[in-house]
Amino acid sequence: MDRSWYFRLLLILSAVVAAWLFLWPSLDQAGWVSAPDWVKARFERRISPGLDIRGGLRLMYEVEVDEYIRDRRDRYSEQMVRELGALLGVVEEDEMDSITREQLETVGERVTVQRVGRRAIRVVFTSEDDKSRFDTEWLERKFPDLRLSGDEGLQLDLTMREDRIAELTTTAVEQAKLTVSNRIDGLGLREATVIGRESDLIVEIPGADQAAFDRIREIIATTARLEFKVLDEEGTTFLRDLDRSTLPEGVTVEAESAPAGETRPSVSSYFLLSRAPKCAERDAECTSARERLEAHLATLTVPDDHQLVVNELTVSELSDLGREEEAWRTFYVFRTTNVTGEDVEDAFTSFDPQEGNRPVVSLQFNATGASKFEEMTGRNVKRRMAIVLDGKAESAPVIQARIGGGRAQITLGTGDYNRLMDEANALVVVLRAGALPAPLRPANEQLIGPTLGRDSVEKGVTGALVGVGLVLLFMLVYYQVAGVVANVMVLLNVLFMLAIMAAFEATLTLPGIAAMALTVGMAVDANVLIIERMREELRAGKSPRSAVDQGYARAFSSVIDGQLTTLIAGIVLFQYGSGPIKGFAVMLMIGIVTSLFTGVFCSKVAMDWLVRGARVKRLKVG
Amino acid sequence: MEFIKPGTYVDFMRLARPVILTSITLVCLSLASLFFPGPNFGIDFAGGTEIQLAFQGDVDTAELRGILDEIGHSGADVVRVEGQENEFMIRVREVSSLSEEQTERLEAAVGTSVGADVLRELRVSPGGDKLTLRLARDVDQTALREAIESAGVSVRDVAPLVGSDDVRLEVFLVGIADEIVQELGERLGERAPGAPERVEWVGPKAGEQLRDAAVKSLLFAVAFIMVYIAFRFDLRFAPGAVFAIFHDAVVTIGIYVLVQKEVNLTTVAAILTIIGYSINDTIVVYDRIRENMGRYNDKTFREIINLSTSQTLSRTIVTSGTTLLSIVAFFIWGTPVIKDISFALFVGILIGTYSSIYVAAPTTEWMDRRFFSKPARTVVRTPARA
Repeated sequence: MDRSWYFRLLLILSAVVAAWLFLWPSLDQAGWVSAPDWVKARFERRISPGLDIRGGLRLMYEVEVDEYIRDRRDRYSEQMVRELGALLGVVEEDEMDSITREQLETVGERVTVQRVGRRAIRVVFTSEDDKSRFDTEWLERKFPDLRLSGDEGLQLDLTMREDRIAELTTTAVEQAKLTVSNRIDGLGLREATVIGRESDLIVEIPGADQAAFDRIREIIATTARLEFKVLDEEGTTFLRDLDRSTLPEGVTVEAESAPAGETRPSVSSYFLLSRAPKCAERDAECTSARERLEAHLATLTVPDDHQLVVNELTVSELSDLGREEEAWRTFYVFRTTNVTGEDVEDAFTSFDPQEGNRPVVSLQFNATGASKFEEMTGRNVKRRMAIVLDGKAESAPVIQARIGGGRAQITLGTGDYNRLMDEANALVVVLRAGALPAPLRPANEQLIGPTLGRDSVEKGVTGALVGVGLVLLFMLVYYQVAGVVANVMVLLNVLFMLAIMAAFEATLTLPGIAAMALTVGMAVDANVLIIERMREELRAGKSPRSAVDQGYARAFSSVIDGQLTTLIAGIVLFQYGSGPIKGFAVMLMIGIVTSLFTGVFCSKVAMDWLVRGARVKRLKVG
Repeated sequence: MEFIKPGTYVDFMRLARPVILTSITLVCLSLASLFFPGPNFGIDFAGGTEIQLAFQGDVDTAELRGILDEIGHSGADVVRVEGQENEFMIRVREVSSLSEEQTERLEAAVGTSVGADVLRELRVSPGGDKLTLRLARDVDQTALREAIESAGVSVRDVAPLVGSDDVRLEVFLVGIADEIVQELGERLGERAPGAPERVEWVGPKAGEQLRDAAVKSLLFAVAFIMVYIAFRFDLRFAPGAVFAIFHDAVVTIGIYVLVQKEVNLTTVAAILTIIGYSINDTIVVYDRIRENMGRYNDKTFREIINLSTSQTLSRTIVTSGTTLLSIVAFFIWGTPVIKDISFALFVGILIGTYSSIYVAAPTTEWMDRRFFSKPARTVVRTPARA
């Protein structure tokens, strides 16, 4: 045997050992072959059986469509103020989006816009003259989704159209479905299915890993509505005048000096502070500092165009904060904002060198977002801007200068390094996938068995074993010695495929198994092609040695062409397909690589040994 | 052992014309069958009704599926709920949808009962098993029930929804789920299920999005494969291969539709497998044709096809045979789900074998004759050997 043969043999043996090590923990998990602990510890990756084969968790959420509609209404009411400003001639139509504070005040003196219920807006003019400028034609042109539902004196009631509400419901569920799918994909965890139904979403996740379920639940439930809102420091005096006796325990009114713009001196800004001992996990009785604060905020009335958001304080912001204590404060912000998560093009985790390399989330806005952000920061230099995520302010830095380039950074709250890192990564996933159109309310949750039915899975395994057994037996009888070689190669092929699946933590589903069956079939076919070719050469009177060489050389082009065309199909299916089609494509591509390796490379080594090492006089190929 | 004697030469091309005509007819019939009778879409594509039931005694998925089959809900999904004793989720394709006329009658009846100004919205779930009402104020539920029943549907339960500004009621109607519970109860005796824990309409798991993705990816795959074949073999080989792929997929779907088996996600997997198999089969025959074209300059293209197909006949039979052999095992050890996918594969591989002999090569020969050859004799170009 020549040197290259030994080299090839060594390569195959090491591949087999590596494959076995990768696959062993998965076999152990299935309860087939128990693996020693050192293997399980070093090779953590496992094949995860899909929902159809193994079962998993089924989560049901209700899309809070009412919230979505209310949110639309809120946007219309904000837009209404500006449109009315243009209608009354306070602001030019093309400068509407950058309406100034002073202009807003002027508009406010002549007309007020209130929110009524969940679907209506009330517009109250101060003079008959101003009201006469309004007509339904203007309304239809500017707000096609609103209709005039009441006209009394100086007051107009505008309500969302019913047919629009039905449309918005469908859109909200569709968009929620898409966003959730994107988030799950972004997590790169496993194949999950998302089904939409009326106002519900059903998410099915294969497996039984509680930690993974927790992560998925968290990722799904985050609305991820990111907004950049400017603080109104001067407006906080109403907090100073609050009746202190109504404040709940642990909540106090505090004051701080805050910058209020480039040209003005600092002003006193007031806020509520809530301090309480940290609650133990799963302690339902305990009311946290945040809950106390938010409960109290719900009783306060603030103008429609403002809102109070909460923020958790760290020890660097509140020096006497105890280890077992938490503190939350309020920021008083303008409700209206132009810059939201919708304008975020990309998000990634990075580290802030100024804060001891703690993990932060960096954002890159798209072109429109960048210009809006630049415009907003330019208008509010030396003011604070709160970065609000789902109603909670992550931080409220002072804008030092106009920020161009469309980059921003979110500093996350408190916690140790690992927690911040997890939080940052989760935030990146949700920001990339986009915000949910409305919050999701968990409705129902259960663990389910295999969707194919346990009986199908069990019988499927028997069927597969018998099927493969029959093929192996046939090959043995029909091709004899060459059949033995072919059989070994087919088994090796299965080993390699499964090992690669384990290494990639792939999900095994029925379509995947179909692809596996196809590639096993193609591996058999590769062997059949080669052996048939060798038979032809032997019949032509060639020696075993040259028959083997010629057989491989001639059959190679058929094998490679067949496999490559199928590989092309696999790549395309992977690129454009979704769900089960993708699962099929992945297995197909893996299978083609392994069947080429075993069918052409490994089997040649075995055959070479037969005709060169063992020097058989007659090669039994049936 | 040899199935095909060495040196066998079969004049396949003698039958080329009738066979190609048959194939074209089959493809046309299959395409027509997509419109009539049309594919029988399963739950994965069509959606259906989902019922969660707790049984009072031991039952298993196979038994339940058997009973559902008997009472006319073939292809039902039966999934065990883990952590609960004998609790199952059953999904059937049937829904208890209301006709448009019934819906109108319902709206009218409810409107007159509670007053048109009180009724803000009435929504019928697509599954026809639930009404959602939005009312301006609370109403007498007994009167409401009577009003709804007067429209010709039966009410199982009325439940108020909490947490809204206006009054919202969910009215559960008697429908398909109740029939199933009753039938199951009769057949299971004391193991009968209790009242359904949950009855819901479920949308399709694989909607238009998946179908579009499947069609798009197949078209792209076929295009790329054509390019590969044109590059590796010769331009005239490409249409034959593509026609063979198309033929195999379409005829398999056609047969599937004709026997009215349910089309589910598993069927998609089977069709993809058949396409993969078909490509491989066709390429092997092509490869031999290419090789023989280089070797025999004196033979006509027709003869070369006959010779190549004969030479690869042994391999074709062995490969198809072993694949069919392994599929047979799934017929014996298999549940309805597995039998369905095995059926598709069995049919597809038979057709794939036939097409690699009779569809791809004859199409190529026809292409060659029609577009490439000189009138006198087929001039065989020698393509580059791999």
